[in-house]
Amino acid sequence: MNNIIIYSTPTCVYCKMAKEYFKTKGVEFTEHNVAEDDAAREDMLKKSGQMGVPVIDINGTIIVGFNKPEVEAALR
Amino acid sequence: MYELVIIGGGPAAVAAGVYAGRKRIKTALITESFGGQSIVSNEIYNWIGTKAISGLSLAQNLEAHVRDHGAEIIDGEIVTAIAKIDGGPPTGHFLITTKSGKTVETKTIFMATGSRRKRLGIPGEDRLDGRGVVFCSTCDAPLFKGKDIAIVGAGNAALEAAVDSIPYANKIYMLVRGSEMRGDAVTQEKIKSHPKVTILFNTVSQEVLGEKSVTGLRTIEKTTNKATDLAVQGVFVEIGSRPNSDPAKELVSLNQIGEIVVDHKTQASSCSGIWAAGDVSDVLYKQNNISAGDAVKAVLNVYDFLHRNHLFAANK
Ligand SMILES: Cc1cc2nc3c(=O)[nH]c(=O)nc-3n(C[C@H](O)[C@H](O)[C@H](O)COP(=O)(O)OP(=O)(O)OC[C@H]3O[C@@H](n4cnc5c(N)ncnc54)[C@H](O)[C@@H]3O)c2cc1C
Repeated sequence: MNNIIIYSTPTCVYCKMAKEYFKTKGVEFTEHNVAEDDAAREDMLKKSGQMGVPVIDINGTIIVGFNKPEVEAALR
Repeated sequence: MYELVIIGGGPAAVAAGVYAGRKRIKTALITESFGGQSIVSNEIYNWIGTKAISGLSLAQNLEAHVRDHGAEIIDGEIVTAIAKIDGGPPTGHFLITTKSGKTVETKTIFMATGSRRKRLGIPGEDRLDGRGVVFCSTCDAPLFKGKDIAIVGAGNAALEAAVDSIPYANKIYMLVRGSEMRGDAVTQEKIKSHPKVTILFNTVSQEVLGEKSVTGLRTIEKTTNKATDLAVQGVFVEIGSRPNSDPAKELVSLNQIGEIVVDHKTQASSCSGIWAAGDVSDVLYKQNNISAGDAVKAVLNVYDFLHRNHLFAANK
């Protein structure tokens, strides 16, 4: 099983693309809306040092932006 | 050998691909990605025939439409160079090279490469990109809740960035290089009177400050030459865009800002066999519908060119 967390904002298109990608692949993910969820925003910052979405955590591998090749490589 | 290679994946390229397919021109479309610049828009209200559509849905529709029309699609590739072979068309042809080293030969080329965001070109910008330096305000404005930010720019994009940020940021500085703002007058009024917003005229950015993340922006007031460090955690860069004309720049005439100069009746460039439309061309108004419409003009003229010079294979 993959453990996938997406940190996103509702207005971010690349977040939507990433989510659609996981849906078509049939893999489950947890989403945190960092526009609302302050704790998740702190988590995202700690993990990635990033102030930009999406940040995707796949089994502990942190991917910044929707970088398809990197996402594919990180999936089991 | 293709009869036409379309470079790009936005509305101009897709419109060209659909028309070329229906005209049975042997076509390849090379693009880095599909959808074009408005992909980041939440809602587009002026794509004719559709009341409202998200940028992402428009991108998906465009891709599906062109894939349905017979052009060969080479995506995930960036064109880096175009060279004339045997003097170029009508007698010779073109050789196109991509970043990954792929080569494609073609009789004609349609440049629909659009434009990309300009960067400030100051110290700290690259290093702190994604660490407080923001190039997609719509995406990232909510991350700056309770923080102070600076927006660099004075046009519509900068105004939009301010609108996106007002619900979240604590204090917003807007850096305007000249003595007045440009962009939509109604939005300007709304922003100017907002208590969170301070507009700094005649002010340019000089350095993005910070170790691991942005802690400030060094600015210069041009009339007094006085430097001031603004204590901000975000720097939003909204200074407009630059045409992606580089791959063709040795072959076609460009204007001062790097746009491909075209004949607005036919979209032909100064180089025989190369056409351009959309944001990479010197069209006055940059819009999705205009890009698509001008691209259609271009392909119809490509079709004439292929016929006139007996380069067209479909009817032989
Ligand atoms: C935030 C935003 C909102 C907008 N909203 C609207 C709106 O509501 N209505 C409207 O009409 N217009 C809108 N616009 C303007 C509109 O998006 C542009 O006019 C339009 O996208 C231009 O289309 P184009 O096909 O010329 O180029 P682009 O959309 O810029 O597409 C260029 C394509 O070429 C590809 N490409 C570039 N260089 C290369 C290369 N070397 N090799 C391979 N591929 C390459 C890119 O990946 C891209 O797919 C908006 C623009 C922005 C930035």
